[in-house]
Amino acid sequence: MTVKIVIVPLTVIFGHESFLDRVTITTDEFYYRLTHDSVWPTTTQPAPSVFADIYDKQAEETEEILAITLSSKMSGTYESALNAKSLITKKCRIEVIDSLTVGMGLGLIVIAAAKQAQSGVKLDELSKWVQRAMSRSHFIVCLDTLKYLAKGGRIGKAKELLGSLLSVKQLLSVKDGELAPLTRFRSQAASIDYLYNFAAGFTNIEEMAVEHTTLPDEADKLTERLGAIYPKENIYRSTVSPVLGTHAGPGALAITVLEAEKK
Amino acid sequence: MKKPDTINGQELKEMVATATSWLEKSASDIDALNVFPVPDGDTGTNMLLTMRSSVDEAYQTDGSNASLVAQSIAKGALMGARGNSGVILSQIWRGLAQGLANKETFNGIDFADALQQASTMAYRGISNPVEGTILTVVKEASAASKAQAASEDNDILSVMEAAVNAANESVANTPTLLPVLREAGVVDAGGQGLYTILEGALRYLRGEAEQMQFRKPQIIASNIPQMGRLPHIPAVDEVPFGYCTEFLLKGEELNPDTVRTRLKKKGQSLIVVGDENTLRVHIHTEKPGAIINYATSLGTMHQVNIRNMDEQHQDFLEMQKERSLSVDIATLAVVSGDGLSDVFTSLGATYIVPGGQTMNPSTKDLLQGVRAVASDKVIILPNNKNVVPTAEQVQALTEKRIEVVPTVSAPQGIAALLTFDYEADFETNAQLMKEATSTVKTIEITQAVRSTQLNGLSIKKKQTIGLLDGELLAAGNNAIDVLNKILAKIDLERSEIITIYHGADTKPAQAEQVSAHIKEQHPQLQVEVIRGGQPYYNYIVSIE
Repeated sequence: MTVKIVIVPLTVIFGHESFLDRVTITTDEFYYRLTHDSVWPTTTQPAPSVFADIYDKQAEETEEILAITLSSKMSGTYESALNAKSLITKKCRIEVIDSLTVGMGLGLIVIAAAKQAQSGVKLDELSKWVQRAMSRSHFIVCLDTLKYLAKGGRIGKAKELLGSLLSVKQLLSVKDGELAPLTRFRSQAASIDYLYNFAAGFTNIEEMAVEHTTLPDEADKLTERLGAIYPKENIYRSTVSPVLGTHAGPGALAITVLEAEKK
Repeated sequence: MKKPDTINGQELKEMVATATSWLEKSASDIDALNVFPVPDGDTGTNMLLTMRSSVDEAYQTDGSNASLVAQSIAKGALMGARGNSGVILSQIWRGLAQGLANKETFNGIDFADALQQASTMAYRGISNPVEGTILTVVKEASAASKAQAASEDNDILSVMEAAVNAANESVANTPTLLPVLREAGVVDAGGQGLYTILEGALRYLRGEAEQMQFRKPQIIASNIPQMGRLPHIPAVDEVPFGYCTEFLLKGEELNPDTVRTRLKKKGQSLIVVGDENTLRVHIHTEKPGAIINYATSLGTMHQVNIRNMDEQHQDFLEMQKERSLSVDIATLAVVSGDGLSDVFTSLGATYIVPGGQTMNPSTKDLLQGVRAVASDKVIILPNNKNVVPTAEQVQALTEKRIEVVPTVSAPQGIAALLTFDYEADFETNAQLMKEATSTVKTIEITQAVRSTQLNGLSIKKKQTIGLLDGELLAAGNNAIDVLNKILAKIDLERSEIITIYHGADTKPAQAEQVSAHIKEQHPQLQVEVIRGGQPYYNYIVSIE
């Protein structure tokens, strides 16, 4: 059977200009502006009507849609996706799941869910499968600064780390859908060691992802190094999307481990 | 509800009563904000008692003449004023009453004029007005209401709205004006109280009296971001606050100015307000006897109230403890230098005990800090070799669990604090912090106090010397020279960041020179310059 992953982009806004994430702005363009532009970007979720249009369009080809969104504690996207269910005109079963995570934490869940669907798992069962997979998806990020998170109001439980007079790297995880502090380092080498050791602590890794905002070389090196514990050609290595980059800021490096299902 | 054009005496009574019940709901929250002028934690209660006295007096006045009601409110406030902010509040009412004199009813313009008089009157009663307090709030609220009254929308509701909005901003801004608030991470309690009263009045005007039963006033957040994990409670060691002395003085031909001049040198936070027949006096003094002797020579004393503020302060600390965020694990750091203290606080140190080289804190000082924090698990960072043994005494003196991470320098303490793992338990954190101390090297640069021969170095008195992790390694002509000699002995291959904390007597420009020099010599390193403000050491340098 055919399974399709459709991406619904959020919007990033610089002043009066708004862009659809990776549709009308590339990551390169975005990070250039983020680091050079004096205008501070903001982001916004898709309106329910955007989801409704996509649901309707997909309904022409499918009878079941599973929408998985980034954490509802960080964005209203989940609400939009949910509300859109009542707006559709075509007949189609739709399930909406709040992943309570973000970035490739969400990405790896979506990819794994698509594989399940490919193997013939139907909506009800798939939805339960995703709920279980959520607890196996572990995302941690190292931020160079908390300024961007704080400005965008997405700081969550990490707010107690704010206000450091020294430049420090902040390690954060996602807990109950919100960012939560792990620890801090002054040196980048030590913070990357932490990311590596975090991944190396898992014994049954199903998928792994490395993503960054403006640190391609460090991301490559980390990926290379992770080759010691997991086939490096299977590691998803990507750049953080503009909408998330707005809140993570430059100099962010993240790693996600999706644990294999216990048999 | 119709937009009210004018307010009569009956409505004024109701408005003040509504505002008072509104204040009542947050009085204890306001108490907890109280750090200025003395952290005794009673501002909200005092303002509430003052307002209650006003309301009682107002309801004893018959009729619906706004002017007469305002006067009775002012009289009630004066008679019932408690504490600093209560007395200032009574001045505000007095000014309002004067502004509303001879008015059966009043409109927005009248109210703005009266509020301006209230502001003037509030400042007048005080010998040493301080900005960032209720005074600033009444001044800015009055200015905003005057501006609103001069515009087209000058109805009472719009004018009151302008006053409330300005008061809100003004309260949020109080920590910018008053350092003690900034340190404690709170807004001014008296200002918050006044805002709450004005907001209560506004809600009455909007006809929201009924909904207010189910709501609670908001404590305004400081516009300065809160640093650290806890409001930093300044370590106060037996600074005597003396006695808060207040009374009502009745007599004939009393002159507030004369009384104020006479009492000015006898204490702090002096307020003398009232008229020739009744004066209210409030003063913080170590010798209440002298004040009373003087007062009885002028007339009769009523409602005499003398409270020991040291006891009040202790109660306040207890209250703070209960209200502060419950941190599972607290960290207590011994730090000298205001800049370094800020760094520790900004990284989440729960409590700072001032001290270090040549001024080692006592076990009691540390114990006081341990008691003050809300957590029953405390990690102590002594940050000095001589303080480590003192810190190790603390466990024997407290029920709380103590771990001493034997840091011997501020950089070690900072490295330890950074390692704090939010997921880990007490023992693990202590262990992680102990391990972290070895990840940092500390260079200290100072002047030799005498001529000596040491470690093969011949050192002259006042010559610049440098220590690496406590060991004297170099002497030279200046800081850059000495720093170079020491850096040459360190393997910088694995290092990333050099942080230069410059001392109280070292100019930032000099520190920048040192920084520029290191960057030139070691371009691969990241160099940060921070004001440490520490005594004795010109520079404390950390290498990580």
